[in-house]
Formats: sequence, C-alpha cells, structure tokens
Amino acid sequence: MRGVDLAGTSLRNLRRQKLRSALTVFAIVIGAASVTIMLALVTSAKDFFISQLESTGQLQQVIVSQATDLDYEHAQYSNSSDGTGVKLTDALVSKISALPHVTAVARNASPYVFDALVYNGQKLTVNNVQASDANGVIVREVLAGRDFSTADGAGTILVSQPYADKLGFKKRYNDLIGQQVTLLTRSGFTGEGAKITPPNTGPTNNGNGNGPGGDGQQPPPTEFQATVLGVVADYDNTLYFPLSWTRALLTNRHYEMTEADRLASEEANRRAGPGSQPQQPKLTLVSTNELDQRGYNSLTVKADAASNVDQVAAGIRALGVGAATAQSLVDAQLKVFQILGFVLGGIGAIALVVAAIGVINTMLMAIFERTREIGVMRACGATRATVRRLFTVEAGLLGMLGGLVGVAAGYGLSLVANVFVNQQLSANSVKARDIIGLPPWLILAVVATTTLIGAMAGLYPALRASRLNPVEALRYE
Amino acid sequence: MLDLVESWSGSRSAVVELRNVTRTYRMGDEVVRALDGVNLTIEPGTFAAVTGPSGSGKSTLANIIGGIDAPDSGTMTVNGTDLARANDRELSGYRNQTIGFVFQSFNLQSNATALENVALPLTLGGMRGAQRRERARECLEAVGLGDRATHRPNQLSGGQRQRVAIARALANRPSIVIADEPTGNLDSERGEEIMGLLGRLHRDGVTLLVITHDLGLAAKAQRILQIRDGRLTETRPAQGRSAGGTG
Repeated sequence: MRGVDLAGTSLRNLRRQKLRSALTVFAIVIGAASVTIMLALVTSAKDFFISQLESTGQLQQVIVSQATDLDYEHAQYSNSSDGTGVKLTDALVSKISALPHVTAVARNASPYVFDALVYNGQKLTVNNVQASDANGVIVREVLAGRDFSTADGAGTILVSQPYADKLGFKKRYNDLIGQQVTLLTRSGFTGEGAKITPPNTGPTNNGNGNGPGGDGQQPPPTEFQATVLGVVADYDNTLYFPLSWTRALLTNRHYEMTEADRLASEEANRRAGPGSQPQQPKLTLVSTNELDQRGYNSLTVKADAASNVDQVAAGIRALGVGAATAQSLVDAQLKVFQILGFVLGGIGAIALVVAAIGVINTMLMAIFERTREIGVMRACGATRATVRRLFTVEAGLLGMLGGLVGVAAGYGLSLVANVFVNQQLSANSVKARDIIGLPPWLILAVVATTTLIGAMAGLYPALRASRLNPVEALRYE
Repeated sequence: MLDLVESWSGSRSAVVELRNVTRTYRMGDEVVRALDGVNLTIEPGTFAAVTGPSGSGKSTLANIIGGIDAPDSGTMTVNGTDLARANDRELSGYRNQTIGFVFQSFNLQSNATALENVALPLTLGGMRGAQRRERARECLEAVGLGDRATHRPNQLSGGQRQRVAIARALANRPSIVIADEPTGNLDSERGEEIMGLLGRLHRDGVTLLVITHDLGLAAKAQRILQIRDGRLTETRPAQGRSAGGTG
C-alpha cells in the first residue's frame, strides 16, 4: 500500500467518526495549546529580558563598588564610605580607563540632600536620587524630553515616570518637559547654593548652640529651581541629576576658625590692649567635598564587547575594588526561566499524556468497531504491517490535527495575552511591545511532538489490530 | 453488461494442491477436527463446489485455500510453493494477487462508495490512484453496476451489493475466486443472478470454489467436494448439469 493511500485511508476513517475524532483531537488541542503558550511565554520572556539588558548596554557593563562582595544588582546601589578600602576616586577612574577593552567609565553618585519636590502646590517626597556622567555609558529609557548631555549642569533634572504620574502628567509626559519645579533640601544643607551665615559666637566656642545665633544651629532648608529635561522609564520614584551639580550639592561648607584666624584674632586682641573688650574672632568659610572624601558611590565601566566583561572585571578587581557583571544576573535569571520552563512544560506534558490515553481509547474503540473491516482488508491482501501502519498513521493524524489546532489556539491566546502584557508594561513604565511570540521552531516542535505522541499512543491498538486472526475478524459481529 | 473476458489478462493457471492437511480448533474443552488429512488437487479453470453440513469444515477448507488460515499439519502448495510455511508478506501477496473472496454477508465498507470498495485490493496492491479508479470502474461495469459507482452500500440492493463484492474479488484479476455462501443472504432470483455471474467468471477461465449447502447450486459445479467431520469425499455431477457445459 502506498504512503499517500495510507494517509488518505486514515483520514477518511477519522472522518467517519467525526464527533469521536473531534473530542480526541480536542484533548490534544488543550495539551498542545498549553505547551505552546507556556513555551512561548518562557522563551519570549527570556528574549525580552536579554534584549532589555542589551538595549541598556548592561551586558557590556561592569559595576565597580568599594565593597568587593556585591553582586550586580546591589553594586548598582552601593554607597561609598570613607572608612577602609580603596576609594572610587578620579585617580582610580583613570587607572580603570587605561585597562584593556575599557571604552568608557561613568561615575555614579547620589546627592542625598533633598527632602521634597514642589510643583504646582504639590509637595512630593524625594526618595531616590541618581547622578552619573553623561558619557553614554548609562543608557536610560527616556519616555519624553531627553537625557542629560555633558552641557547640563545645576538647575536641570530628569524625573522617573511615577513622579511624572504623581505630578499629574500621566500619559502626557511631553507637557512636563521644560516645567520648573522647586526642590527643597533638608535642613542643615550646606552645599553650594545654601546661605551660610557666620555664627555669632564668643571667642570661646562652647558649641552648645543655646545662645541666639549660636554655633551648631542648622541652616534652614534651601530652595532650588530646576527645569525638567526628561521623563525616564523606571519603576521607582527617582530624580536624576547632572553629575556636576551633584558634586556642588555634596560640598559641605562651614565657618571655622582657622589657624590664621586664631593668630589674627590674638594679634588684634594684643593690639587693643589688656582690659579692653575682646574682639569678635574672624571666621573663614571652609568647604570639603564628600565625593573627594568618600569617593563615588559606584563606577559603571563599559567594555568594548559583552564577551570581554569578565576580563575587564578581573582587571578591575586587581585594583582592590569590587567588580560585578550582569552575567551573574543573567545566569540567575536564565535558571529561573529554565525552571519555569520545566514546570510549565511538565504541566503541558501531563495534559498530553492524558490526551494520549484518549487516543489509545479512541483507537481501541475503532478497532472493535472495525474488526470485520480489518478481516476484509486482510482477505484482500493487507499484510499485518499494513494494518499496523494504517492505525498508527490514523493515531498520528489525530495527534497532528490536535497539534495544529493547538498551536493555532495557542497563537490566538498569545495575541490576547500580548494586549494585557502590553498594558501591564506601559503601566510599569516599560515601552509596550509584543512580548509573546511564536518562533517557527516552536510551532514545528509542538506539531511534531503531538504527532509523535499520537502515533506512539496508536502503537498498541495498531499492534492489536494487526494481530487479529482474519478468519475470526471476518466472523466478528 | 461488458464481457467479463475483457477484465482478464495473462495466464491464469494456479494449481492448488493440499496434501494431508489437518486443522483442529479448540472450542472450550473440546477439540474440533475441521480438516482431517485432506488431500485435494484443483486444476486451473475448475468450478468446484464444497458442500457439507454447517460446522463440517468447509469454510476452513476455503480459508486455507484462500490463505487466511493455515493448516496445523500437511502442505498446501500453489504452483509448487508451500503456502503453509509462507510468511505474512508472501501470504498477503498471494491473497491480493491470486485470490478473490466473495462473502455471504458481502462485507463491503459502508462508508465507502461502490468504486472505493472495488478499489480496495488495488490500493492494497499499490496501484496508483487514476489507474486504480479506471480498473475499479471496469470491474463495476463488468458486473453491470457501471452507473452505481458513487453509490454507497446502503443505497444498493442485496444483489447489487454482492455484485460489488464480486467486482472487488476480480479487481486484481485473480486466478481463484472463493465464494463462501454467496447466495445465502439473497432471494432465489438474485441468487440465480449471482450464480450466473460466477458461472461466467468460470467460463472466462477462473478457478471457482463455491462453498454452499445448497445442493442444487452445487450440482452446477464440475466437482462436488463433500466434507463431513473433517473428511473429504468427492462426487462428480452429471456432465449435462455442469455450469461449464456447452449449454
């Protein structure tokens, strides 16, 4: 019997029992559709995750922190301290820049000096603050306006999407661009821009601050006006500052009686003569910079290729600082996707096993019903192998039909799911894109698998059919 | 109706020889001897009737000659080849090419058209679609059902169904047609028709083996093989009553 006739006969036999075939196929459809959706979800989520990392250049980055034990995620938010350890200073930046495969280094700092953001009568708390070199190493997804350029300095900020939403610019972020907001510092802010008055103290600095205008009284909060340059896609309430402004903000200034002042004061008192009213001592405004004292919070180093990040990280670690790459993050995440894939695939597999039992049942029924027909076929010259093939192909066809319809159903459901996922993404400040896709290999694999499952489920019934004694089969009522 | 001779080609000369064939069945505790040391030679072109009471083993004889049953002991050779020792593939080829079966209850596929039913042995023999349809149509025309090709069995009368079955039996131009009670499910008029058709097959040179308990029908044969308790005896009918006679 020729292959094409085998397939044609099998198909005609399936059509004879439309309802039964349809129900059996339906069970496979459920299994195939769930496997399709689950695999599509896992592979697409994986691709999406990798592409996100690629688009922000994270796969090419090494995060340098003072602490040497931080992983990628924690290193991004690390803080420096002026204690032991190698400080992340400009000198270190030069050394890192000189390492092979390093294309650029961005310095990161956090100007933790602000208390609130005021706009149009609203006062919002300031949580996260970030500042980095605008040298293209850190790539932010900008929803409106633009990212910083090196020309931007004091009085310019970017806001994250949640802030923009709270300020009443949800879904019209462009209207926020160019708006002036007021930033209120904490009290005690002494950075550049703060009005610091010399303390009105006696010659002996008792430091209890009880007297009017005494030393130790904290300066009042300072107000800054800032122009919003852009809205950044982010989950957190974050404000972004130019690094140059951050450096100015992190300058601590205070009046201090320097050695020169003391000598000058003593000289003045001596000239005035004993018994005279002591002169008000002269004080000098002294400024120290936190970034110089403690170093930057972290450095983001860009390698020339993702394949070189490990080498770059090793070179950086040799300098005595911590270096974390996204590779560990990727590995951990891929493991999660892998496990997810196994679990979801397992559920689908169970559905397919149940469907396979359905196929066995259907085929056994068909053989009971067609016993006489099998007898006639044998009498007309069908070999045992032909009978076996016929029923195996029939079962395989059930599997294939189920696979095809299942993949189609899975595709339809993924289209629907994409609508919801896109909504969810834009709500979470990620640009909407169709995440769930069906790669061609997946379609082929699912259909091939269900066909194989069907054929395998048909093996036992087919074997039974082929072993029927033709004489008894012809006598069967 | 076309002449059946047109449906045939090539030499049809299978000599069937049974030597000391024994076939037993186990029915519960009882062992039934369906065939007990049967010796028989059927020359090509013979019209033989097999008669005997029900359960006597006449169907077993037909099944063994037809290649769907095998003897427990003894040999069954066709043109010198021992089919009692043949494998499934060889035996299936023999059934497909050399044997044509006609059953009492027609055994047509109810979901298939007359044409598709006739084409079954051709499909199993590996013939291509167009050629197959042409040959099946030829066979249907030969049995007078050229205009019923697309009818399904339930749209045909009993006599027509049996004619479709005969068309199917002769699709592969077999040398032996085995008809097991071919008129058993038909009224006498239709039975006559079918026997007429089978008689024409015989005249065209086909070896015809008809199993029947109808002695009147058996009397038309050249040889009458009687089976009783597994034993074969033969009687020769009067020459003038033979279907193969000059008429």
